[in-house]
Amino acid sequence: MLKLTASQMALWVGQKINPDAPLYNTAYAYTISGAIDKEVFQKAFQSLIDTTDALRIRFKEERGTPYQFAVDHMPHTLEVIDFSNTGKEDEILTKWLLKRSRQHLNLQEQVFDSALLKLSDNKYLWYINMHHLVTDGVSRKIIFDRMASLYGQFTGSKADSTIDETPSYLEYVTKELNAQAAEGTKTNYWSEKIAESGDLPEFYGVQPAKQVTETTRIPLQLGEERSRKLRALMSRPEVKAWTPHLTLFNILSSLLFVYMYRTSGRKKLVLGAPLHNRIDRKFHKTVGYFLEIFPMATEIDDSDSFKSVLQRVKVENSQNLKHALVDTVTEEISGSFNVVLNYIHTGFDNFNGLPTTSEWIHTGHIDSNHQLRCHILETPSEEEIKIVLDVNHATFDSETRERVPTHFLNLMDAMLHGMDTEIAKPTLISSEEKKALYHIDESFEVPSISVIECFEKMVESAPNAIALEDQGRIMTYAELNKKANSLARFLQKKEIGTNKKVALYLFRSTDYITSLLAVLKTGAGFIPIPSEQPKDRIAYILSNSECDLVITDSELKKRGEWQINLLDIEKERGHIQKETTSNLEIYTQGQDLAYVLYTSGSTGNPKGVLISQNSLTNYLLWAKEAYNINKESIFPLFTSIGFDLTITSTLLPLLGGGRIKIFREQGTGADLSFLDVIQDNQVNTIKLTPSHLALFKKNDAMQSRCRTLIVGGEDFKVQLAKSISSSMPPGLKIFNEYGPTEATVGCIVGEFKPDRHRDTSVPIGKPIANMNALILDSYLNAVPKGVVGELYLTGIGLAEGYVNAPQMTSEKFVENPHSKGTKMYRTGDLARLNSEYEYEYLGRTDDQVKLRGHRIELSDIESNLMHHDDIENCAVVLVENEKTIPEEEVVNCVKCGLPSNYPNTDFDEKGVCHLCNAFDNYKEKAERYFKKEEEMVRLLTSQRGKNPNYDCISLLSGGKDSTYVLARLVNMGLKVLAFTMDNGYISDQAKANIDNIVRKLGVDHVYGETPHMNEIFVDSLHRHHNVCDGCFKTIYTLSTQIALEKKIPFIVTGLSRGQFFETRLTEELFWDDQIDIQKIDDTILEARKLYHQESDAVKELLDVSIFQEETVFEKVAYVDFYRYCDVSLEEMLEYLREKVGWVRPTDTGRSTNCLINQVGIYVHKKEMGYSNYSFPYSWDVRLGHKTRNESLEEINEVIDEVEVKRIMKEIGYDKTEKDWEKNDQLVAYYTGNQDASISELQAFLGQKLPLYMVPSIFKHLEDMPLTKNGKIDKSGLKELTSEQLALDSPYEAPRNDIELLLADIWKEVLQLKKIGIHDNFIALGGHSLAAIRVTARINEEIEVDFPLSKIFELPTISEYGQYVEKTLTALLEN
Amino acid sequence: MNDKIITYIKEEIAIMPLDSIDVHEDLLGSGIVDSLGMMKLVVFLEKEFQVKIAPEDMTVENFDTINHISEYLSKK
Repeated sequence: MLKLTASQMALWVGQKINPDAPLYNTAYAYTISGAIDKEVFQKAFQSLIDTTDALRIRFKEERGTPYQFAVDHMPHTLEVIDFSNTGKEDEILTKWLLKRSRQHLNLQEQVFDSALLKLSDNKYLWYINMHHLVTDGVSRKIIFDRMASLYGQFTGSKADSTIDETPSYLEYVTKELNAQAAEGTKTNYWSEKIAESGDLPEFYGVQPAKQVTETTRIPLQLGEERSRKLRALMSRPEVKAWTPHLTLFNILSSLLFVYMYRTSGRKKLVLGAPLHNRIDRKFHKTVGYFLEIFPMATEIDDSDSFKSVLQRVKVENSQNLKHALVDTVTEEISGSFNVVLNYIHTGFDNFNGLPTTSEWIHTGHIDSNHQLRCHILETPSEEEIKIVLDVNHATFDSETRERVPTHFLNLMDAMLHGMDTEIAKPTLISSEEKKALYHIDESFEVPSISVIECFEKMVESAPNAIALEDQGRIMTYAELNKKANSLARFLQKKEIGTNKKVALYLFRSTDYITSLLAVLKTGAGFIPIPSEQPKDRIAYILSNSECDLVITDSELKKRGEWQINLLDIEKERGHIQKETTSNLEIYTQGQDLAYVLYTSGSTGNPKGVLISQNSLTNYLLWAKEAYNINKESIFPLFTSIGFDLTITSTLLPLLGGGRIKIFREQGTGADLSFLDVIQDNQVNTIKLTPSHLALFKKNDAMQSRCRTLIVGGEDFKVQLAKSISSSMPPGLKIFNEYGPTEATVGCIVGEFKPDRHRDTSVPIGKPIANMNALILDSYLNAVPKGVVGELYLTGIGLAEGYVNAPQMTSEKFVENPHSKGTKMYRTGDLARLNSEYEYEYLGRTDDQVKLRGHRIELSDIESNLMHHDDIENCAVVLVENEKTIPEEEVVNCVKCGLPSNYPNTDFDEKGVCHLCNAFDNYKEKAERYFKKEEEMVRLLTSQRGKNPNYDCISLLSGGKDSTYVLARLVNMGLKVLAFTMDNGYISDQAKANIDNIVRKLGVDHVYGETPHMNEIFVDSLHRHHNVCDGCFKTIYTLSTQIALEKKIPFIVTGLSRGQFFETRLTEELFWDDQIDIQKIDDTILEARKLYHQESDAVKELLDVSIFQEETVFEKVAYVDFYRYCDVSLEEMLEYLREKVGWVRPTDTGRSTNCLINQVGIYVHKKEMGYSNYSFPYSWDVRLGHKTRNESLEEINEVIDEVEVKRIMKEIGYDKTEKDWEKNDQLVAYYTGNQDASISELQAFLGQKLPLYMVPSIFKHLEDMPLTKNGKIDKSGLKELTSEQLALDSPYEAPRNDIELLLADIWKEVLQLKKIGIHDNFIALGGHSLAAIRVTARINEEIEVDFPLSKIFELPTISEYGQYVEKTLTALLEN
Repeated sequence: MNDKIITYIKEEIAIMPLDSIDVHEDLLGSGIVDSLGMMKLVVFLEKEFQVKIAPEDMTVENFDTINHISEYLSKK
């Protein structure tokens, strides 16, 4: 019996994963025109079996390993079926072939299935299906020729041919297995090739939900002309390769790469290329599975032409062929591609002189790893070239399957048209598909009514309905209208009318609404300027817009210096009231200006977007219907008037007969009016940003009266949408509204559907009435469904352009090539259509960010900052907060209960965490760390002479573990001094318990105390997010002092085995094959010394001079009781109950006896997301000392928040909810004066920019990190955590291999994304345990034994790196 | 040089058994050698004659006949 070759193994595994799918059936039907002698054919087939060992091979599995062997004799009667005279031969035959080809081959019995079908007297069909494990393309040809030849021999028409010389397949297998065993993998050529390719490409935006084998075969109809052109191309000298087959293969692989790039957007691509691999000539005629699939890799971008891709592919292919001669691929390499290009040899045109046609039957299944296979079928030179695609249903849905041939052929046509064509240029989709996807031909309907007319109609129909509510005062529609009319008439006297612009520099107020309506009534346009706008920016807006008048109030008037006509609405109120109150009856034209809205510009100045009457009306009328706005609707007006989303809250209610409730600005600083809206809870329809929505607390949400939420302004995450829709009362509608200011408020809208929307972001939906949205590539071709492109908007809602910026206007509002004579707005947003044809927003093509709904051009901030003298160069990035997993989505490892929000967890498909899986591998080794009880007794009594009174100190917290330790030590006959740390929070019952126990056991007992305990707690909370670390260190310090004083040689701890693994036994200690327990103990002792050197409150406040002396650890040794004793929780409790009378305290409300420990848990959960007990308890479970349920029960114990807050106050810990809120923030990196004052920089920017645009963090850099293209590496800059940003050290990237290696190790252990070489290990949170891990990893990588302490002596990568380098140089020189 | 190449082709890579190969015979067009075989030949030539054959040089013109192969190699 033989094992399987590596290639066979890949198939075996594939078949095991899909046991019932006929994915490796290779079925062929040969239709032979002529009479066949059935008996002779059967005889020939028997002879075929006899001479071909591959047909006699059987497989069996023993203990999980598959084996193969060939039976010597295999009598077989070929089945003969008569299909003649059945009438519908073709139809029946097709069905039969498909059904038969899908039949499962039982590899333990027979690896093939064959039959001879009589179709008519002069037409037969030979059907043969072999499992891929024993055949390949070349084999099929050999089988066919051999069968024809044998048939010829038996009919006597041909002489005997000799096939005896051909070695058997198993001979090849033997040779291959020997070679594999001898060589392993020879070079890493293939691994290197695929190393940078990254994740598998996703075509048409589809991430396969699961792996399936179902496939459709699609023949590409090349037609005569394409085939002719293709052949002409193949003969061109610069295209031609050694053989036509190789040439065609090169061309098609280039084309396939381009297709992959265009449909996935992925630049680094790999495809699998099968090679017949009969390298040794002697196997040329052997039937079997020789094939290997090698990866071909390339990198493409838009600057490529078909020619440049082909040139690279040619070279790539030659190199691959060369390496294929010596190397084999591994499983990892086979997983690096999901597209395969195959060249299929044919040549089955003659069966013993009879004309034959052949058909390769597609079973409808392929390897589930492959999403796309392209087969080139060898064809005689004069015929049409045949190409078929096998497309996997996991990626290609039925619609896409229909469209794939067009996409592929469009690319091929472009290539055949000219090899110099840029690969990005040709369109993929047909014009029909374009029309279907993007509704190109739909015409737009211009609104026939203006906003003011709509409003006045409402006034007429319900004059006494309430229109406004402002600071408790209400106003009816009639009153509002009259006020607006008076003001409008007043404005007219100031020559305000059509084509004029009036700035509204007002707070959110009745005055604002009145003024806005009044301006519109005169026919002029309004410019909203929010109160928080800085002086300089207002001045710019007024001059840039050539505004005619500013309406403001007495308070705001004081904030600026005005060189423009000003109307103080408060001062003039008396005059205004004298004006007539009737409607003005001015009818504006659709193209007239409605408003100008200023948004962040990239040049450092804002840009004014001009919105026409038509655009505004179109949006509002659509929204009124879509959101069902009526007289019941109550909107809050609470967002900045400078925000285009505020237009909705300002005008929409008034057009539907609803009401606006005004929430005024609250002083300066961040506007938190939304909290008032929630508190007030009177409105039922809210237009808001996702950031607002996130402020909804669960309790408030449940009480909310809101029925409609219109969310806009920034990316809306499904996560948030889900949590809101589940916490608010049922019946709530949530709309996601997308639209840049340039396309009037909202132009693509979709309702959130919790059951359907499961991706990261809520889709933005579909275009609103009279608007359209195109997704285009860089050549402005419309892209297929699922493919990412840039979003372009067309329709009535488009702005007229930017105020006084013709160039910017022509850059952004461009000719629409898809509908001549119209304009489209280039959004700079990336989007794609999902399977439901909803638009999905996928981010920006440029530097624009959204912060709490505000649209910010980062370059706007940068160009302003550059004006400061201290700044040489700068880059501003938006650092998004680390989104923690919401509690309800955390899952726990099915084995140990570790929560999925523990850093860097990785759960396998069975729900088992990486720690459990890793531990399985070193469990046995770890066992050796543990010892027997006798050994402990021997150890503890070894120094008896030295101290007449005590053998050891036993640390007693009063909990079950330490009580058990004490009781057992006494029970073992040891002389024990019990030590209890009184941290001030031991519960009364626990204290009574302790006193009872020591009395009952008859041991001496001391309490340790320190006046600094609260400071230590606070420090521990800051440093470790818990109280226990500080307490532990205090216990060690004080107990060691006593041990030294009283000359007691040992301190026995009650640490659980779980705690060993939490605090000292890291995985790295067990990496060596031969573990040395002494070495582990030495390392742990070394770490303990460092532990006491670490600076913290304990070191500062307690007397730690004893630890300065090296000998302290010789005088006092620490013994972990549970290292020597293995006891289950049940046994322990039983013992405690019977022998000690220990009772669980009930006055802590929890299973602990310490009242402050829940403060630690509370803070840890707030800051880290999970309990600090999660990790050690997971170890207890893993080691069998707790069950998963027991652990989870303890972890999930209720925390008394009131008590926690009280204790926090008591100990002087001052962090509040606000400190724990993690927000996105703007970070400015700069080079220049390192000592620049941050507050001064902020003030400087504050004069020019709104507050929300001023970065909260400034970080000085020696040099700006650059990408390969010489641009500032902004993505790299986004990866620093806020803790790192707070460090004083300037960021500098690793400069050489050693530093890179160190940085990688640090990042892994400290769980950071990025580390600068001057960052301090300790400041980054490195402690002695991290030191063990980092040092172990460095030692493993560099194969030197660096001491543990070095990392604290040389705590930066730069310093440590130099030390490593010096050490290595010294080693080399010796 | 030619003899060494002929021997190698005959013994190691020819798809069909051959008695002799003419130095002008079209190795690729006649199907004596396929592309994998040709690559084997390239590896052989590189080793045997201590040359480096760049992928760009692996053209039909340089490799279609034994004569052309030796001409190409002599230019290296």
